[in-house]
Amino acid sequence: MTEPAPGVWVYAICPAVDDRLLVEVRGVDDEILRHVRAGDLMAVVGSVDRERFGADGLRRSLNDLDKLAAIARAHHAVVEAAARVRPTAPARLATVYDDDDRVREMLAVHRDAFAAALDHVTGRQEWGVKAYGRARSDVASGSDERAPMTGTAYLRQRRAALSARDASRREVIAGAEAIHERLAALAVDAGRHRPQDPQLSGDPRPMVLNDAYLVANDDAEKFAQAVSVLAGAHPELSVELTGPWPPYSFAVIEVAP
Amino acid sequence: MTAPHHHLDIDREGAERSLASLVLTVVELIRQLMERQAIRRIDQGDLTDERIETIGQTLMALDEQMARLREHFGLTQEDLNIDLGPLGTLLPRD
Amino acid sequence: MTDLDRTDRATPTTHEQVSIVDLLDRLLDTGVVITGDVTLSIADVDLVHVNLNAIIASVRAGAPSPDGPPVREAS
Repeated sequence: MTEPAPGVWVYAICPAVDDRLLVEVRGVDDEILRHVRAGDLMAVVGSVDRERFGADGLRRSLNDLDKLAAIARAHHAVVEAAARVRPTAPARLATVYDDDDRVREMLAVHRDAFAAALDHVTGRQEWGVKAYGRARSDVASGSDERAPMTGTAYLRQRRAALSARDASRREVIAGAEAIHERLAALAVDAGRHRPQDPQLSGDPRPMVLNDAYLVANDDAEKFAQAVSVLAGAHPELSVELTGPWPPYSFAVIEVAP
Repeated sequence: MTAPHHHLDIDREGAERSLASLVLTVVELIRQLMERQAIRRIDQGDLTDERIETIGQTLMALDEQMARLREHFGLTQEDLNIDLGPLGTLLPRD
Repeated sequence: MTDLDRTDRATPTTHEQVSIVDLLDRLLDTGVVITGDVTLSIADVDLVHVNLNAIIASVRAGAPSPDGPPVREAS
């Protein structure tokens, strides 16, 4: 029985430029990358093993954290390499086509949407800003002192602790909103991600901000400085800046077949 | 579907601990609700001093009992939680 | 005074250094979404979020001591 034809994994869509192939990076299946052109667009693709990267194979892999991480990193490496040298609209993880012709067809049919997305991200980078409130251990919970006290005193203590915690929570949320507003005003575009699962991140602190900002390349330094200033202005939060990222959060195109 | 990375701890002690964690989480939820409710009632001012004292003593005793039980099973405050997936966790994380 | 974490800012984070959680935020929910021929539909990929919880839970259950969730740092 002959082996099934390889699938075509799409990494990103870019303007068609006379570029050298991405020789220094390999794909998710350790494959050599290539371009598929259609008009003024091109897709960065690679041929992948149909069994491991077909529907069933992917479903198995994506439910295994180690495999998912490996695939994610490999995909990201390609997207990043492309974004370093040309405007890039990253494809979502696990976009696989039957063959190059199908990719060409896809590029042709959705040409305008892609062109608009690429236009939006050209000359710009994505930056991530995360903010956390205080760790749980910093906030009083349960009985603080083991010294004998009256029931009334205990309740008074608990009320004070809960009230302080509520006030702290409000302050933290307000701080996060203020930071978001300020940074969104500095950026071309802003997107919000859901808070990260602490079990996944290993960080027990409550996450109150997980945003992406699209910033012109020339404004990167100014943006980073603004983040630094805002971090200092909000001691109730821990602020982290990540990036630059390829514009994952801003080249969003939802296209039905 | 996919095998876990580590073997599930299915020996008796582990099973007891998992069960204890579940039960204590529910008790902790009740404790927190009762505590909030009591404080609310006190702030509303419709409880006598004696009543407040009794409620306070009860909650304090419950709190201490919880701490002893957690210690017995080797559980921290953070261990007492149930992940409801998209609904978040049963008890507030912070 | 809270200072910004500078380790991520000074040099661009390479694909080896990025945290897997930050990466998954960007790879699973966003990007150009064109349904490929391999029908791993949007719903399927979103299931990964739910299943990640199950994986974490099973990893936690097997952990020898409860001093924190074992974080899988991809190498």
